[in-house]
Amino acid sequence: MNFELSQDHKVLQSAVRDFVEKEIKPIAMKIDEEHMIPDSLVTKMAEMGFLGSYLPEEYGGAGLDMLSYAIVVEEVSKACGSSGVLISAHTSLCSGPIYSFGTEEQKKKWLPALNTGEKIGCFLLTEPDAGSDAGGTATTYTRDGDHFVINGSKTFITNGGYLGTGVLLASYDRSLKHKGITAFIVDLSSPGVTILKNENKMGIRGSYTTAFAFDNLRVPVENLLGLEGKGFNVAMDTLNGGRIGIASQALGIAEGAFERALAYSKERKQFGQAISEFQAIQFKLADMWTSIETSKLLTYRAACLKDAKKSYTMESAMCKMHASETATFVTKEAIQIHGGYGYIVDYEVERMYRDAKITEIYEGTNEVQRVVISKLLLS
Amino acid sequence: MKLLVCIKQVPDLESRFKPDAAGVWYNETDLAFRMNEYDEYAVEQAVQLREKLGEGTELTVLSIGPDRVVEAIKKSLAMGCDNAAHIQDQAASAKDPWQIASIIAAYAKDKAFDIIFTGMQSQDRGSAQVGVTIAEQLGFACTTTIVGFDYVDGTITAKRELEGGIKGVVKLKTPALVTCQLGLNVPRYPTLPNIMKAKKKEIVAIPVADLLTEESLTTTASFHPPAKKGGGIVLEGDVADLVEKVIAILKDKTTVLR
Repeated sequence: MNFELSQDHKVLQSAVRDFVEKEIKPIAMKIDEEHMIPDSLVTKMAEMGFLGSYLPEEYGGAGLDMLSYAIVVEEVSKACGSSGVLISAHTSLCSGPIYSFGTEEQKKKWLPALNTGEKIGCFLLTEPDAGSDAGGTATTYTRDGDHFVINGSKTFITNGGYLGTGVLLASYDRSLKHKGITAFIVDLSSPGVTILKNENKMGIRGSYTTAFAFDNLRVPVENLLGLEGKGFNVAMDTLNGGRIGIASQALGIAEGAFERALAYSKERKQFGQAISEFQAIQFKLADMWTSIETSKLLTYRAACLKDAKKSYTMESAMCKMHASETATFVTKEAIQIHGGYGYIVDYEVERMYRDAKITEIYEGTNEVQRVVISKLLLS
Repeated sequence: MKLLVCIKQVPDLESRFKPDAAGVWYNETDLAFRMNEYDEYAVEQAVQLREKLGEGTELTVLSIGPDRVVEAIKKSLAMGCDNAAHIQDQAASAKDPWQIASIIAAYAKDKAFDIIFTGMQSQDRGSAQVGVTIAEQLGFACTTTIVGFDYVDGTITAKRELEGGIKGVVKLKTPALVTCQLGLNVPRYPTLPNIMKAKKKEIVAIPVADLLTEESLTTTASFHPPAKKGGGIVLEGDVADLVEKVIAILKDKTTVLR
């Protein structure tokens, strides 16, 4: 076994780190306060290739691997969880399924604009009454000549506000539950798409979380993604990959908070010594770092398994679950180490705490992850 | 045209340095390494010239050291160098500037480079001797600490930084060597697609023994951390007097009043 990153991955890590340090870190607080990632940053991230890291070069991607993608999301999330999830949802949840399930024509048509950031991608699965239970999808579609006609609503759609490209799940017969679900590629700038609202959230406030209504949205038949009635498989496979992205985001948030807590503990003096001299703080740091390292090993391993085209369902569930719980634990402890200052916006760890919480919820709640893991253990 | 850029990998200067067992250099254990800052300006300038000249121009990046320096080489390739020479040397840090320059000159002498770019100095050893010594050994024209660069038809026009913020402009005919200073340019980030493309570029490995003929001229006798600082300078006297003293110190030790 070799737990070292390859030289190529180290070059990538250091390039992303330099970019994040100069281009994202200085504006992370502003992104949170203004509920907006500046378009200029999205453009710069696209120019860096962050929006198509593991997609092949022939479709305008960088042609790297899943581990590179995990490193990109991790490094970006160290400074800004909102920017991290933009990349993760865009890549794993939109470009990912189009690449995995799309025809050659579909890949050529949709992936280049996604990989260059001309279109920002999203995944339209969740509905007001169907979250973890995707079989309850109530958005329906019917066939009308060479189009499908979609009606219904979707909610909590990360990146939805960009009105770019989406992978949408809809049912042709709700009584069939998950067997009636089909996936489509949709252009969200089409007539029939209405943004009901962009949600005001606890954390990742720079990221769009959008509620949509679809009123006779007409989708050409060539936009069918995979087979009719097989949309549930598309959704499950997509979420498997997506969990590596969210684990990477959570890992990055945890590392960002840890770096600040470690530095602060060495600077802050109480009772005539740095607080890092107190065992109460030392033990916190030890626990935080151990959780971060275990999350990193699980996340990188899941990414490497996907790269090796091996089964990674359990590993992606484990890394998502563990890294997200690490993120909430580490960011909470980082505030505690900062004392009162940790509760103040300027010290940024409170933002990281708010950003961390969602990672336990989206891309499958941690309760769902435990179902996935235990089912595989007992099957 | 043929261009060469010489780079060094140095430790992150935020690291905590400890002397090695012999007490003549730093212990490399647990240090994170990156490309020498001044060499990044050199790579960027070389790549800009490579892009300006287009087809028919070849830009080689060279570094001396153990396997870890390949990381800095790969970064340069991702920034736009065409190919690389890795001169493999486990003991590069023990060599003096004369030996390092001699190795590079031995590599370059039969390759007809038109322009060689180096950093002004390394961030760790900081001798600022390697670039000028390579030029001397190859018989190249040379100028140092450049903050501006232009090349037209065999002539380089370089803006140099002189003491006290004063600038000078020099012209030199190729073949020439320039050493690059902060302010010359803003090095680009290697993009992900270019990191991928760099994987396919050739890195030629050359054992240092093939190029090393010179003995060292200087030897590092001791490496040690600075003595613990005292409480700084305490100024005394009346206010007008203190102001004069502070201004004199700021002028002498810093650039804020220049």
